[in-house]
Amino acid sequence: MTSKNSFWDSCRENHKRRIWVWVVAVLSQLLAYGGMTMIYLSRIRGFYEQGDYRTPAAFKQAMCQAAQDALGFSDNLYPIVFILAAIIGMQGFSYLFDRRKVDMYHSVPVSKNRRFAVVYVNGLAIYLTANLLGLILGMVISASQNAVNGEVLAEAGLAFVWNFFLFLVFYHLMILAVMLTGNRFVTIALFILFALYEFLVSDMLEGLKGIFFKTYSAYYLQDEPKFSAFYDCIMNIWEIKTATDIAAVARLAMPLVAKWIGIAAVLFALGWYAYRKRPSETAGKAVAYRFLEPVLKVAAAIPVAVLVGRVVYNTSYQNETLLIAGTLAGGVIFCAAMEVIYDFDIRSIFKHLISDGVAVVGILAVFCIFKWDLFGYDSYIPAQNKVESIAISVDGYYDSYWDENHQYVEQNQFEMEHMFLTDASPVLALAEAAKDADPENMGDNRGMYILYRLKSGAQKERRIQLDYDDPATEELLNQIFRTDAYQKGVFQTMTDENLTEGMTRIYYTNGPARAVIPLEEAGRLRDAWLKDMEQFDFTLVRHNRPCGIFYFEYRYNRRQFLVYDGFENTISALKELEAYYPMELDAADIESVAVTCYHNELAEDEDTIDYGVEARAVAETWEAEYTDYTVSETFYEEEQIAQILPHLYCNWIDAPWSRYKDLDDNYSVEVVFKRDTAYPYDRESYYFDYSFYAGQVPEFVAEATAYTGETE
Amino acid sequence: MIEIHNLTKQFEDIRAVDEVSVTIREKTVFGLIGTNGAGKSTVLRMIAGVIKPDEGTVAVDNMPVYDNVEAKKRLFFIADEPYFFANANARAMEKYYSGIYEAFDKEEFYRYLDKFNLDKNRKIGTFSKGMKKQLALLLGICAHTKYILCDETFDGLDPVMRQGIKSIFAKEMEERGLTPVIASHNLRELEDICDHVGLLHKGGVLLSKDLEDMKCNIQKVQCVFGTVEDEIKALNGLEVLKKEQRGSLCTITVRSTREEVEARFATVDTIFYEVLPLSLEEIFISETEVVGYDIKKLILG
Repeated sequence: MTSKNSFWDSCRENHKRRIWVWVVAVLSQLLAYGGMTMIYLSRIRGFYEQGDYRTPAAFKQAMCQAAQDALGFSDNLYPIVFILAAIIGMQGFSYLFDRRKVDMYHSVPVSKNRRFAVVYVNGLAIYLTANLLGLILGMVISASQNAVNGEVLAEAGLAFVWNFFLFLVFYHLMILAVMLTGNRFVTIALFILFALYEFLVSDMLEGLKGIFFKTYSAYYLQDEPKFSAFYDCIMNIWEIKTATDIAAVARLAMPLVAKWIGIAAVLFALGWYAYRKRPSETAGKAVAYRFLEPVLKVAAAIPVAVLVGRVVYNTSYQNETLLIAGTLAGGVIFCAAMEVIYDFDIRSIFKHLISDGVAVVGILAVFCIFKWDLFGYDSYIPAQNKVESIAISVDGYYDSYWDENHQYVEQNQFEMEHMFLTDASPVLALAEAAKDADPENMGDNRGMYILYRLKSGAQKERRIQLDYDDPATEELLNQIFRTDAYQKGVFQTMTDENLTEGMTRIYYTNGPARAVIPLEEAGRLRDAWLKDMEQFDFTLVRHNRPCGIFYFEYRYNRRQFLVYDGFENTISALKELEAYYPMELDAADIESVAVTCYHNELAEDEDTIDYGVEARAVAETWEAEYTDYTVSETFYEEEQIAQILPHLYCNWIDAPWSRYKDLDDNYSVEVVFKRDTAYPYDRESYYFDYSFYAGQVPEFVAEATAYTGETE
Repeated sequence: MIEIHNLTKQFEDIRAVDEVSVTIREKTVFGLIGTNGAGKSTVLRMIAGVIKPDEGTVAVDNMPVYDNVEAKKRLFFIADEPYFFANANARAMEKYYSGIYEAFDKEEFYRYLDKFNLDKNRKIGTFSKGMKKQLALLLGICAHTKYILCDETFDGLDPVMRQGIKSIFAKEMEERGLTPVIASHNLRELEDICDHVGLLHKGGVLLSKDLEDMKCNIQKVQCVFGTVEDEIKALNGLEVLKKEQRGSLCTITVRSTREEVEARFATVDTIFYEVLPLSLEEIFISETEVVGYDIKKLILG
């Protein structure tokens, strides 16, 4: 029994005022869950009818997976949760915006605490009931099609928890927005501002760093919003959806849920405090607390203005003056707009010049900080004794990395997790040298990302420019490349413990040849390669190109092992396995060699025309009028082919850190094998791309491909 | 008893209520009079616990009222524009209020609805402004609270309805000691109902007095004196608030009891004299003129 005016009576009475919200919530959830379940299941059924699933068990598994996709973690659901939280939060407390309602509700003998609790709990009840009804409908549909198993139930349960706490974060955020404002329009604006503010600020900082700091880098450390549940969803939902099992799903999802509980608790406390302190007479006003008006205006004006300035900057071909002008204009217009919103009066545009001035000064201060690098971002190099370890990524090497579950891992992530250079001195010396270096005067200008892990626990990241042609740079890079720490941070093949697990094939290639090696030889081959890697350094990779690569292949990925001419142990092992094929081909195996010369020297003359800033605008016309200087010649004579082959390098072999100038980019070469040759070239392709080593184009080839004014 | 002490409320740059101190005794009808913007609604909303005073206190039967459920149980506030739920009818409003006010008398409510010809099933949104005010008053009366606070509630009611409500007030005061507090900008509207009147102007209280006291202590005398000496003798020692003379006919407003005035005039030679009853309007004019205000401008326009 509940006594008259009990909490539950109040809740029931309050529900009568929220019928349309009930309808919206329940309908949206029924349509979302019911609709998604039906669509996903009917798609699988359609595949089944087309014969995609050979066994009933496979079909059932696919149906259950579809049900899991529909009822579990879904990227279709969180926008609905976001909108529902906003609607429920605002509708529940929007009586505070109407003086007539405030007069009634605040004069009746119901305590403020009780009223808050009633509206708050009812909001939760609306969401939870709607969500549960949607889930039940989805389950019923799934069960009717025999598409429910333990995994479906478990993931649906986890997703229910995930969605609920996601709802809670946005629900509390909206309640806070309601408590700080006095009408719906401003509430929605503030809610969106709160939801996006961290994005706005981090985007502003990243954008300005990118414009003004030459050492700026976000390769290792993404400046990700830390308190945005929305961002958490966007960034993690896919990973959670594709997790291998329920335990993995829980492992990924629950830490985020724990974080959201914390955020929701803080937002609730703020919302509650603002509710308790909110003066009733602010109903209908833009902002409930006068002191917040300038605070919100200035806090929002700076990132918004910078955003406007950056748009102007990017559309004006990076004109710095326009960046500042655009930002100031954006700031002033934004401040004026805020004043108009506050007072609902166009004449209030410059009502509060002091806070306008503070905003402008704030914007200018931000600019000064970045323009003149007042905090020494670009000059930052940590003291050696403060560095715990370093990870670097030196331009010129790209690889694919995989975790123990054969999931793809980004290169930066792998380097962060596996590279710990404890000898900081060569890296710091490179950073020091790069301070005063002018990239324009560098022979081979490349870059290097540096992640400083400091003993204090902080991490800093920079990008510096290096001249690979500079002997001092080469020596410093040698010191780094020779370390075990660096090699293990770059070559996953050096540290992988389970290299042979799940391996499907081993083969060696010099480009065209593809020599398969027995799986049991994996260990031997790798040991030989590791032995050869003892001679690995920057000079080796800079001045040599790999003569081949051997691969360990798995179902979904593969590991590569670069082989250089000096890798005697590896080459010897390959030879013993009759899998070694040198880069240089035998003319007897080749049917033809087609050489194309682009005559870049002639095209470059045309490039000297100064199109200035209008280059992009005239590009299409220019392209249309561009003269084709390419000349191609195919050589069939074995003798000629024999003269060409020693000077070729197969483009299919990556040559990390090598010099761009090693190969002649004025020519491209296509080598076509004889169909009946015993050479084990990859039969799926009958021609292979090669390049001439720079300066090694045979004279007869140059003559045959000389430009005579007539193109083919 | 509602005790208001040094009540002050400021809305940004505007001091809406400025150190108002008033005591509202039980079982009296308290009229709060003032021009638009005088602070009546703000005072009433503070009494109702809707808004919190910046300074000063409001105590309802010795209990602070702001966010105090026990104090609010004794109050029913009818705002100048009463709010009814969207699409609600009188029955729905009864259900809401009867869930909140424990002593709400449903039978009485429906009886009054019949009496006032208000359809309990008709959407309130289709009611006229006067009907809405009647409904709000009936809800307030039937809530059976000790105090009912009416903000401009009688505006818009036709004379018959106004009289009907007044009779209900009188009945409820007699039966259960209801204390209505009525704010209005119209002095004439309160004349026949108020026992005590507080006059607000620019947020402050110009005066707060019992109507009876005021009526008993101010007399208007029309007379024709025999001689100037008689006039001096008659008025000597009396506090003359106002004196007008047309020919030999004097109209004098004095602060004194009727008995004292009659006794004084009986001792002098007058050709004619008569002690006349004062309207509330005249009393106010006299009282406020004394403190330097022109009440006609303030209230009567």
